[in-house]
Amino acid sequence: MSGILVIQEERGQGRNRFSYEALAAGRILAGLTGLSMETAVVGDKNTPILAETSGLPPTTAYAVQHPLLKHYTSDGYALAFEQLIRKLHPAFIVFPHSYQSRDYVPRIATRFGQVLISDITGIETGPTFVRQLFQGKMSGSYRHSSDGPCFISVQAGAFPVDSPQAGTTTILPFEPEIASDAIRTHPSEPILGSSQTVDLGSAQRIVSVGRGIKAAENIPIVQDLATALGAEMAASRPICDNGWMPIARQVGSSGQTVSPKLYLAIGISGAIQHLVGMKGSQCIVAINKDADAPIFEVADYGIVGDLLELVPALTEALRAAGH
Amino acid sequence: MIHFLPTLAEPGLLLLSEKVLFAGLAATSGLAFGARFRIVLGNILHSKKDATFRPFPISRRIRDLVWEVLCQAKVIRERPMAGLAHALVFWAFCAFALVTLNHCAQGLGIGFLSPRGQIGRYYFDFAAAFALACVIGIAGLFVRRFVVRPRWLGKKLSWESGFIAVLIFALMTTYLAGFFVTDGGAAARILWWTHTLALLTFLPIIPHTKHLHLLLSPATVFLSRGGFSRIPPLDGDDDFGLISGTDLTQLVSLQSYSCVECGRCTEHCPAANTGKLLNPKEIILGLRGYLNEYGPGAKEPLLGKYNSQQATFQCTTCGACEFQCPAGIEHLPILVGLRRGVVNSGEWEDEYGSKLFLALERGSNAPGLSSAERDKFIEKQALPIFNGTQEYCLWLGCMGGYDPKGREIVVALARVMNYLGVSYGVLRREKCTGDSARRLGNDLLFQQLAKANLATLAQNRVKKMISICPHCVRTIQEDWKDYGTPPEIEHHSEFLARFAERLPQQKTEEKIVFHDPCYLGRYRNVYEEPRAVVALAGDLVEAPRHRERSFCCGAGGGLAFLGEETGERVGQVRAAELAATGAQTIAAACPFCNTMFRDALAATGEGAPQLMDISQLAARGLPKQ
Amino acid sequence: MRIAIAIKQVPERDAQIRIDTTGRWIEVDRIQYALNESDAYALEEALQLKEKYGGEVIVVSAGPERVGVAIREVLAKGADRAIHIICDDIGERDALGVARLLAAAMKPENPDLILTGLQSDDLGSGQTGVIVAELLGLPHASLILQVEKTETGLRVKRELEEGWFQTIELPTPAVLTIQSGGNKLRYATLMGIKRAKTKEVCVLAAAELAVDAAPVVVLEQITLPKKQKSTQILTGTAAEAAAALVKKLKFEVHVL
Repeated sequence: MSGILVIQEERGQGRNRFSYEALAAGRILAGLTGLSMETAVVGDKNTPILAETSGLPPTTAYAVQHPLLKHYTSDGYALAFEQLIRKLHPAFIVFPHSYQSRDYVPRIATRFGQVLISDITGIETGPTFVRQLFQGKMSGSYRHSSDGPCFISVQAGAFPVDSPQAGTTTILPFEPEIASDAIRTHPSEPILGSSQTVDLGSAQRIVSVGRGIKAAENIPIVQDLATALGAEMAASRPICDNGWMPIARQVGSSGQTVSPKLYLAIGISGAIQHLVGMKGSQCIVAINKDADAPIFEVADYGIVGDLLELVPALTEALRAAGH
Repeated sequence: MIHFLPTLAEPGLLLLSEKVLFAGLAATSGLAFGARFRIVLGNILHSKKDATFRPFPISRRIRDLVWEVLCQAKVIRERPMAGLAHALVFWAFCAFALVTLNHCAQGLGIGFLSPRGQIGRYYFDFAAAFALACVIGIAGLFVRRFVVRPRWLGKKLSWESGFIAVLIFALMTTYLAGFFVTDGGAAARILWWTHTLALLTFLPIIPHTKHLHLLLSPATVFLSRGGFSRIPPLDGDDDFGLISGTDLTQLVSLQSYSCVECGRCTEHCPAANTGKLLNPKEIILGLRGYLNEYGPGAKEPLLGKYNSQQATFQCTTCGACEFQCPAGIEHLPILVGLRRGVVNSGEWEDEYGSKLFLALERGSNAPGLSSAERDKFIEKQALPIFNGTQEYCLWLGCMGGYDPKGREIVVALARVMNYLGVSYGVLRREKCTGDSARRLGNDLLFQQLAKANLATLAQNRVKKMISICPHCVRTIQEDWKDYGTPPEIEHHSEFLARFAERLPQQKTEEKIVFHDPCYLGRYRNVYEEPRAVVALAGDLVEAPRHRERSFCCGAGGGLAFLGEETGERVGQVRAAELAATGAQTIAAACPFCNTMFRDALAATGEGAPQLMDISQLAARGLPKQ
Repeated sequence: MRIAIAIKQVPERDAQIRIDTTGRWIEVDRIQYALNESDAYALEEALQLKEKYGGEVIVVSAGPERVGVAIREVLAKGADRAIHIICDDIGERDALGVARLLAAAMKPENPDLILTGLQSDDLGSGQTGVIVAELLGLPHASLILQVEKTETGLRVKRELEEGWFQTIELPTPAVLTIQSGGNKLRYATLMGIKRAKTKEVCVLAAAELAVDAAPVVVLEQITLPKKQKSTQILTGTAAEAAAALVKKLKFEVHVL
């Protein structure tokens, strides 16, 4: 048993950063263990991700193909990769910690009597694997203590992507054996969450405006920012009370509770009734002219200044960066 | 020409046929009365016994009976003109006791009081004076109800009340006319019979109408729970609140039959005044309707045909209703009881209510924030931690610990306490006092919070507490008693007033209007102390509705945590009233009032008065650090 | 429908956690425990299915005696009966070890559906449900927000990344891991707690289940994370600050 197998996940042109991070983690592991690397992905030799793979190791890639793998199912992928692992006997198998991996990898691990060390943020000598506990309040170091293969999945954004280099990758086909009755779940096509009605609850990005906006005429400035960010608009209570934004967009204790990846609080002071509606946001950015505004205590990033200057500047900066 | 005679004319000896007729009519009237009254009394007595009713201390009960019933104190004080008119009618009824008794005895030929007798000579004149007052009173009330038509008596004209008024008028005028006719003459006899008919018509009407209060409300006042908003503990394992008829206790049933439909409760209700469904009078009459239709011990839900769940959850528990009621009805335990019924059983499905309960179940505070936020605040402001050596434990509460404005109030108070050299400390961990859980009727949650907090306080050897929030003060001092012995606690206005002389006087011309918080004023009877603090800083002005009449800000009863209000916002109505006084500053003494007014004033825009807590007013004059 | 739900009792989210003297776990003396958050959503889903389709809800949990409190809480909210696997060394077992206990206890019950929370608030491995499915040879779906019964089994709504969803049809018996937020949770009531007193709790010793306990993955040490959350204030002119923010959002937060 030797080698590091990195399983990638094809998501479409320009959307495969997660897999590159998994490769980067694999390289770190290779550096610590001196083991060689290989990679695999469900797809054929024309799968974009294999072309995007840099010239750095691994230089061998397996294109895992089977008609029943056309749509992701946990049964299909578990069988396919289980067979690949039995063929290659890797000591370590690295996955991006995506929704997909979380769904099927534990099944494979169990077949080998193993447990996935999931969502790791660091690899240290040993090797030991670092992951977050207690919602990020603590870090834990895990060691693999058995003879079998070690399954790990890496957290998004935890490992910086390596810059591409010139080089070629050998692509080898792999066709697993999957009986049609082995696939027990039947998924539909993905559907985008409702975008007709205002569904702030499932919005991933929200730009929210508060009293600091001063006048209804200024709201379009913030609207431009929201458009550039691909975000939903929301507001604190006084704005909705004044009729400047519909009640459906009110965030707070008597409005909606949201937990997007990104919450931009523009001209919002951070009164408790608003905070309780958005404190679950993963990343909070605050723009306010009052440096003592309570919103800055919960924000991850803040800019103190006049929003009438900052918001257009931010929209401009986003457009310049290609949004 | 009308001769006023010094003595009342008597009808003369009645014929046997007349006596028989009288006896027959009286018997019929009495039976009609009894038939209905028996049912009402039965409904009351067959209701569940009140588990916590204690007749003693009886002095309080006697005092209330004398003051509120005999002296008609609440009746007059809260509505002076109409109240006085009613008082005159009532006192006339009392004065007429012997007259009426004698009248009936005459009907049977055994009259015992003569206008020429030793007692009669003075007594009948005495009664006449009251009769005259009563005539004036009842005429005035009639005009009020049918001509002036105040809003609080309801849109529908009550012909029943009109008829009763006419009967009372007839009783008194037939009596008074007796001073102008010849003794023993035909006129006297006609007057006597008219009076009889009026009396015997009146009697059976009593148990069919709100005039039941003639008989019941003295008992209601005497048997009341006492205190203010005294929520009874649940009685045993099967008691979950007022769910159906089987849960109505004798006291609640008695109170529901005592309603005089005066509408004073509704007149002062913040919900009823802002277009909400809730009408406190209808809640009580709804229970009466329920009892009349289903009786006690019925399984139909109380919140169904006669009362709605929606209305019940629009109550801010401000207490204006209970405070006003001249008939001794205690609305708040009933409202909380109705809420208990649907909350303790899980039937109440409200998005915001569930969110609040889950936040309190899983965490330590009502807004549902991480306690690390409170820790950060304590650290940033360098507030001392309570270690048993300081004099006061400063209780932050959810608002003081997590709300930006609440925190400002705490910081201002801390500055003043430092200046005064009074030692205090804050607890490392607090759980919400459970005020909102209590007022919303969630006994499981309230019990958990009360017990956990009492344990923390005991562990930390807390003896004296001070808090910036009247809700915390009330809940800790009164409601926690169900689960242990809380330490003594006072509101910061009481503390500041005590030290008023030592605080720097920096009186300005600034006009400051003070808003009496419900939980400090009506609930705790504290009116002067916060005014003393305001007077240090500026010129105190009063809002039209102040002291016991103060109009709620809309946050109480857990409503601060529930969703948007329908109709007008209570807080905005009150803020507008306060702003209309022309004051430059609104002084608050409760962080919830502060929050509600802050939102309301923000909508007003420029020119709105500034909003400050009394602790901030007190701290204003302190030397800069 | 016979539904089994697996729950975990975890330290309260708000608890102040400190590393203990061994450096391998947290100090448990003053810790308050609570029901794991996504398990509460699993419970809610189970109760709604029972209310809709009839049947019973069995709650299963492994851990020391204190777990009984969480079990009673779940019974109070409406589950019908419980199985408590007493296991004092639950902390030493890895996800596979725990799943083995749960699977062994659930197997004789023959449930039509097994629900677990998506992941635990303390360790957050997010696998136990999937492992149980594998051990019992059952199909599964994870990150589920809604469940419906169909003639052939179940139709479930699964959350995908970036605001996408998909529906999956699968046969019963099956295992589902439930994501938080799919339903509105119900609050604990006095009536519920009183009724829970008479509900059956079957207590098993872990040893009785005769499963392999040796861990393949060991938590060796816990430390405070190097990066503490603090607010980064970006300065400069409007254009400079804006550009800096865009960079942060792209490379630190990975949200662009």
